[in-house]
Amino acid sequence: MSKLIATKAIRGAHTLVKRAEEELRLAIQQKGPAAKVEFPNTGYYLPVSHGILGMDIQSLEGLQELLEEAKKLLPPLPTDKLWIPYLGNTLDAGMAALFADEIIESIKYTQDPLPYLIAANPDEEHLWIGAADDIIMRERGIEFVDGTAPGFAACVGYCPTNEMAVKIARELQEKNLYVFMSAATDGKSMAQQLREEGIQLGWDTRLVPFGDDVTATVHSLGFATRAALSFGGAQPGDYQRVLRYNKNRIFAFVLALGPVDDEKHAQAAGAINFGFPTIADTDIDQILPSGICTYEHIVSPVPLEKIVSKAIEVRGLKITITKVPIPVAYGPAFQGERIRKEDMHVELAGQLQPGFEFLTTKNMNEVEDGKIDLIGPEINDLEEGAQIPLGIWVDVAGREMQSDFEPILERQIHDFINCANGVFHMGQRDINWVRISKEAKSKDFSFRHFGTILHAKIHGEFGKIADKVQVKIYTQEKEVIELRDIARNVYKLRDDRLADMTDEAVDTFYSCTLCQSFAPNHVCIITPERSGLCGAYNWLDGKAAFRINPTGPNQPVKKGKVLDAEKGQWQDINDFVFQNSHKTLEIFNAYSIIEYPMTSCGCFECISGLLPSTNGIMSVYRDYTGMTPSGMKFSTLAGTVGGGVQTPGFIGHSKHYIGSQKFISAEGGAKRIVWMNKALKEEMAPVLEGIGKKEGVEDFIHKIADETVAITEEEVLEFISKKNHPALAMPPIF
Amino acid sequence: MKTIAISGKGGTGKSTLAALIIRWLKQKEMGPILAVDADSNVNLNDLLGIQIEETVGAIREELKRSAHKLPGGMTKQEFLEYKIHASLRETRDFDLIAMGRPEGPGCYCYANNLLREILKSLSDNYKIVVIDNEAGMEHLSRRTLQKIDFLLLVSDPSVRGVRAAGKISKLLSELDTRVGKKLLVLNRVKGSIPEILDKIIDEQGLPLFSSIPEDDTLLRMDQIGKPIWKIAEDSPAYQAVHRMMSKLMERIDNGV
Repeated sequence: MSKLIATKAIRGAHTLVKRAEEELRLAIQQKGPAAKVEFPNTGYYLPVSHGILGMDIQSLEGLQELLEEAKKLLPPLPTDKLWIPYLGNTLDAGMAALFADEIIESIKYTQDPLPYLIAANPDEEHLWIGAADDIIMRERGIEFVDGTAPGFAACVGYCPTNEMAVKIARELQEKNLYVFMSAATDGKSMAQQLREEGIQLGWDTRLVPFGDDVTATVHSLGFATRAALSFGGAQPGDYQRVLRYNKNRIFAFVLALGPVDDEKHAQAAGAINFGFPTIADTDIDQILPSGICTYEHIVSPVPLEKIVSKAIEVRGLKITITKVPIPVAYGPAFQGERIRKEDMHVELAGQLQPGFEFLTTKNMNEVEDGKIDLIGPEINDLEEGAQIPLGIWVDVAGREMQSDFEPILERQIHDFINCANGVFHMGQRDINWVRISKEAKSKDFSFRHFGTILHAKIHGEFGKIADKVQVKIYTQEKEVIELRDIARNVYKLRDDRLADMTDEAVDTFYSCTLCQSFAPNHVCIITPERSGLCGAYNWLDGKAAFRINPTGPNQPVKKGKVLDAEKGQWQDINDFVFQNSHKTLEIFNAYSIIEYPMTSCGCFECISGLLPSTNGIMSVYRDYTGMTPSGMKFSTLAGTVGGGVQTPGFIGHSKHYIGSQKFISAEGGAKRIVWMNKALKEEMAPVLEGIGKKEGVEDFIHKIADETVAITEEEVLEFISKKNHPALAMPPIF
Repeated sequence: MKTIAISGKGGTGKSTLAALIIRWLKQKEMGPILAVDADSNVNLNDLLGIQIEETVGAIREELKRSAHKLPGGMTKQEFLEYKIHASLRETRDFDLIAMGRPEGPGCYCYANNLLREILKSLSDNYKIVVIDNEAGMEHLSRRTLQKIDFLLLVSDPSVRGVRAAGKISKLLSELDTRVGKKLLVLNRVKGSIPEILDKIIDEQGLPLFSSIPEDDTLLRMDQIGKPIWKIAEDSPAYQAVHRMMSKLMERIDNGV
């Protein structure tokens, strides 16, 4: 952080404390030390000093004590020789400034006439309403607790135009944030600007004018402190808990509009104590590294057009849009809706026109949240029955966003769009297909609304990872085909990425206990090279599922110390499996069929089992109902292998796992396969050819027996001996 | 949504009756109508005068073949849903879906389970679903087709035919399929019904709901390959279907 900014904040705090001392001296002189001090209609003393210091101030004399505390906190001004000012000093100065604010504001209430209107909303003559009373606190505070209002924006200063002030207020209101206004600059304030534009102010509209004095900013932080005491269970004086509650629960920030003087810097420093960052439109210094606040502390200069979205980003506020703002009904009830040709106004993509859907990650500064562009004709430009191309391109930015999440979010486009009444959506990627009904069109549903839906739903369902969403809709062939090529390259990269990932390359695997409802002791460990045995989950799916639902059945499991690299055994994995198998499995080898193999729930696509005399194994797919050389049919095998019991010599697995480098690699890998049911063998032919090539086994696939040539172990042995199967030359399997 | 299924032994004119029913529903503007050709021979489309390009059975086979190299990272459910919606033949008057050939060897539980869901959600989009069933009733026993409100068992006016219809009816009761009312329809009736047949009908416990007379118009249309869809309104068979369907709709309106 810069020395300049610390100096300004500390200097501002000195000014405020000095002013508080002077005003307090005057007040005591006029009214005596015992004169009563309170914010009207409150039972909580003065909130900041009560919450942070545990002080119960009721008189001017009590304020004297608070002044002493402020002075104690006040750090000396940094000298010219001090080149590395300390964040702690700045924070102390900020807190001292808030105490001074509270002294000054409470003295105002001893004056006659009162400088503030005691009401929830301003009236014609009085703009400023000062501290929130207990009734407001109870009514409004609860909104901060139940999430109706995620937080507030403490706006200090003014905007260059009234129009801009209105725009910012509206933007904040749209995000359900309260707007607290204080601290006029050169006699001009945002609250006045709004009033000049005829905007209704007060608690009712969430646009609250506290006071024109810079010290009135303390009412914002007083409100925050009260919230921690009333709803956060913090005890007065337990400042850590008060501040932590605010950092974690109240999504507030300071918007510094226009010039920022020393005193305002001091308010910003005070707010940082609560985890509330300051965003300024003028070029003041920045405090970027995180520490107290979730992300940056002070960010500037940010153009006013973008200040709200920047503030939301810096504060880490997640926007949820509860109602999707489109002119047709929206909900899962409309998911199965087919728009018949007869009822359709327009068809997009599908069998006759090109199309694609693509979601990608961008940097925070490359995405303008809520921006929707349409490139090409809009629905009103089209004749009934038109068939046109459709490209949907979604840019997502988020501090927690990773490219691994792209396919997961992208897959949701189908569900999201399909929920709109009168809109039919099928497929994904470059085989998407959309129809819009005549009725939806008559209600003014347009192509741009695809963007509206995606923006609202991605925020709503993936708020944890997505901070900003913008959407481009393409309805012209040229762009759709060009961008589809770009998207197709990425689809391929995504598909290849998993194929190339190795278990050694990661330090975390994912568990899957989805099936514990019927196999209570079974735990799947999903590694990059071993997908879930049902074939439905791979490592990336597990990772994404955890990110999206941190308490769900897919948990990250650190590998920990390698106990046996060849068999695939790790200390922490063993511990996890032990705990989660309800202490039934102590040891687990990921890559062995013989020794402590992975258990199965019963959902496996395939079962592999040892055929001892052949020195190899057989693999059978679940659709095969005939006899296998193990002497058991699939159903009997399934009964033996399933249920979360370790059955040495047998494993359940996905088809995909057969092609993995780690397929029973402890026993020599897929080269050991001596029998497969024919359908599985045929389906896996390309994979088996690959294995043969890699292992230098010519014509490997034809050396593997199937039910047409062998259904007993003896017949398999005879067949593979004739074919010179590589398993025969391998070391004994056990 | 109400479902009317037509079944009976081969050669009794099930598909012809189904086509006439669809024609009648269209004329009375009872739609939107979904016509389901659940006969593996797939010929309802010819009677309705349209082409079929893909059947559900073929899609199911395609899914089984390419289960783990589905395009676009699609799930099996999404793949099936897309393909089935794309296979639907759409006309101004009705949409037609053909079930196509029956299952091959191997386990179809998973695929059929998906199919059931997709067909159910598809048919929920229509006011009336008319199913031309094959005699084997595979889709009923597999429950790939959802509940049926009225099952019209079609028979020629013969003792053998009526007994066969009775057998299908009993079998369905044993299978615990979700079939509502089972009604007997005699097709190609010439003159009056002999007394002995009346007695046999009584024995089956199947109420005789309607008799459709033999109609030379139909025969001639078939001979020259003209779709039944285009039958003249005053032809005797169509008139009989009109009486039968009016009665059926009355029952639907009365909630039985």
